[in-house]
Amino acid sequence: MLFNSLEFLLFLPIVFVLYWFVFKKSLRLQNLLVIVASYVFYGWWDWRFLFLIAFSTLLDFYVAQYIHTNRDDKKKAKYWLWVSIICNVGLLGFFKYYNFFIDSFVDAFATMGYQIKSVWTLRIILPVGISFYTFQTMSYSFDIYYKKLEPTRNFVAFAAFVAFFPQLVAGPIERASNLLGQINSRRTFTYAQASSGLQLILWGFFKKMVIADSLAPIVDDIFENYTDYPASTLILGVCLFSFQVYGDFSGYTDIAIGTAKLFGIELMSNFKFPNFSRNIAEYWQRWHISLSTWFRHYLYIPLGGSRVGKLKSIRNICIIFLVSGLWHGANWTFVFWGGLHALLYIPVFLMGRNRLYSDNVIGERTWLPTLTEIFQVLLTFSLVTFSRIFFRSPSISAAFDYIHRIATDFRYEPYVHPMGYRMLDFFILIGVFTLYEYLIRKDERSPFKFKYRAVRLLLYALVVLGILLFYDDGVNRSFIYFQF
Amino acid sequence: MKKFLLKSVLYIFLILLLLEGIVRALHLYTEDPPRFIDEYGVEKRVPEHTGYAVTGNRNQNFSEFHINKAGFNSHREFEPSKDKFEVALIGDSFIEGFHQDYTSSTAIRIEEKIPGIEVYKYGYAGYDFANQIHLVHAYRKDFELIDEIILYLNYENDLGRGQYEPNRARIDMLSSTLFKIRDNIKLLAYGSKIGIIEPLKKLAQGGNAFANTEGAYQTNTLSEEDEEAKKSAEDDKRIANFKRLIDFYGLDKSKTALLLDSRKTSPRFLDFLDENGIRYIDFAQSFATSKVSTNLIYDRHWNAHGRELISEEIADYIKSVRK
Repeated sequence: MLFNSLEFLLFLPIVFVLYWFVFKKSLRLQNLLVIVASYVFYGWWDWRFLFLIAFSTLLDFYVAQYIHTNRDDKKKAKYWLWVSIICNVGLLGFFKYYNFFIDSFVDAFATMGYQIKSVWTLRIILPVGISFYTFQTMSYSFDIYYKKLEPTRNFVAFAAFVAFFPQLVAGPIERASNLLGQINSRRTFTYAQASSGLQLILWGFFKKMVIADSLAPIVDDIFENYTDYPASTLILGVCLFSFQVYGDFSGYTDIAIGTAKLFGIELMSNFKFPNFSRNIAEYWQRWHISLSTWFRHYLYIPLGGSRVGKLKSIRNICIIFLVSGLWHGANWTFVFWGGLHALLYIPVFLMGRNRLYSDNVIGERTWLPTLTEIFQVLLTFSLVTFSRIFFRSPSISAAFDYIHRIATDFRYEPYVHPMGYRMLDFFILIGVFTLYEYLIRKDERSPFKFKYRAVRLLLYALVVLGILLFYDDGVNRSFIYFQF
Repeated sequence: MKKFLLKSVLYIFLILLLLEGIVRALHLYTEDPPRFIDEYGVEKRVPEHTGYAVTGNRNQNFSEFHINKAGFNSHREFEPSKDKFEVALIGDSFIEGFHQDYTSSTAIRIEEKIPGIEVYKYGYAGYDFANQIHLVHAYRKDFELIDEIILYLNYENDLGRGQYEPNRARIDMLSSTLFKIRDNIKLLAYGSKIGIIEPLKKLAQGGNAFANTEGAYQTNTLSEEDEEAKKSAEDDKRIANFKRLIDFYGLDKSKTALLLDSRKTSPRFLDFLDENGIRYIDFAQSFATSKVSTNLIYDRHWNAHGRELISEEIADYIKSVRK
């Protein structure tokens, strides 16, 4: 079920009413409702996928018990942790990466002169959001193993934690220590939390339906027909893709966090205005935070993190960026994209500037950013946007061809929208959006934090107006990150 | 919870109120002048309405219309007489021309090319050939005075029936309270125009708004012979409908011509017209060779250039018959 669908528009109030009015008195019933609602939400795509979630839930619930039971026997505890890793990564590997590895294997042999006919590739449907919920369940087993958490004996609560529908298919990837604790305890309805949830939902819809969906046809057109366009259009295409993917994913996240708030649950922030990052390290502290945090806790730190000497630290950085790239999809373009980010991150790390901006934002104490900050933001945005050529292209060769054309066909031609729409509308939209995000840059969870009620009301109306002005019923309304 | 629910309802109401104001102020909604069926059974607009037809979410195409006393969107009143040379141009939305300012219509362009003539544009969205020929018959007193009649025929769409029956169900539906509410709440009219309330509308009408129509039914691939047979059967049906209508209402071949695009018209039908001495104006060539687009961006109606080409074709034809 998509957030931006009529189904969800009807589904959400029904679940809300049942949750707060019918099952209010019993935490267990509330959690059971969360499970049923989540399974309906997920099964709306294909009910067969539910078996995967159920399997993942059962596996980690029991594995965690075994890890805990054997907490004094390190070897046995580790054995059970590996059971969880192998099963979860195995599921992910089979559904997401099986054909990719087979094809890569065949291609590798072909480059050495051995032609192997690929007879092992299978027709596999990629279950929506599999990378998100397998990582979430694995985090539970990790936390038990590292003794950061006691395993829950409440299977209903655990199943609700794994399947919690607002963040099931595209995160934020929650850690059990945050979400499971909330699911295990009684929730109380508060006006402030619920109204802030609605605000986030509205803002998320704006980002998705106005920014992402209206730019999608332009980006698709430019990337699909890049051989017909000059450098100016190709640069435009990838810049707009930067805004599209941000609007799409952060829009989803805002709706997810807002929806969770309506049920008395606080999810972690996943985006903190990454377009205003002043270096790559800050960018990764602001973009897809839940995934970066996951990799930091469960991969980077176990590998030694940055406490193992410069060379090993660099190795660790490379590993997490390459794995993070691969996490995004079964294509070498994502691995290359991850590698490129590692290359951009390492100099910042070596200069010791990777934590420089971790607790402040651009224009921290002033209305306007300094010229240095503007330069830093533009440079970071350009580097990130450049890397997205690999993220968006169907193959590495296509990405290089795209870059080659930018470099060699350097001329300007006005771009004509595939549907003939006035491009100025979209430039104004991006400009206004960026300015507004700058205004609210200090709090990603309060997009309408203005003192006067009338101002807020006007903003709500303008946001809905924006949705109407840029609504296109012909556009594919799915979310980009669902494929991951 | 009570505060939350009450405030949510209040905020939704205030937001909708604000939006209604903005939509009105920016004229984002389109106006659809009321329709009716007159005493002759002709479906048309209620006379003497002016307003603006709007296409696209952001006023991408904004044009003024004026419904004259006869009930059609036109810059002039229809007052045929023996002293003047009048041309009647009859057709669907392409002729009605809500996608253009009424002061820049095909009719005006023809008049500019042939000084002294008057062009009466009997256009109405949804008119097929049955509507058109019935109209000529119903207003025969006027049409006896009109010197040339041009019927715009979209071959694939306009010959689906061989008998005229006014669409009373549509008129009843459009004059129902529900539609009146929709037309008066401009936000609703706007939402309806851009398709955002389409799923809700389907749901309200009892349809399955969630149905995925793709794959919900099976389609068989037709072989080339089957395709040919199907096409031939459709041609038979359309030609039979055409014959039936002209037999019933009559067609004054001496002053009537069809305006058509031969690229979208069956050669069999064109042969039929030739064999029966029915004249037609074919704009296929001028559209096909045009280096500039002939259609609007936001819908498929003719743009200013398309209308210019059409008016040239019609003007040339009129000049040739006037000789």
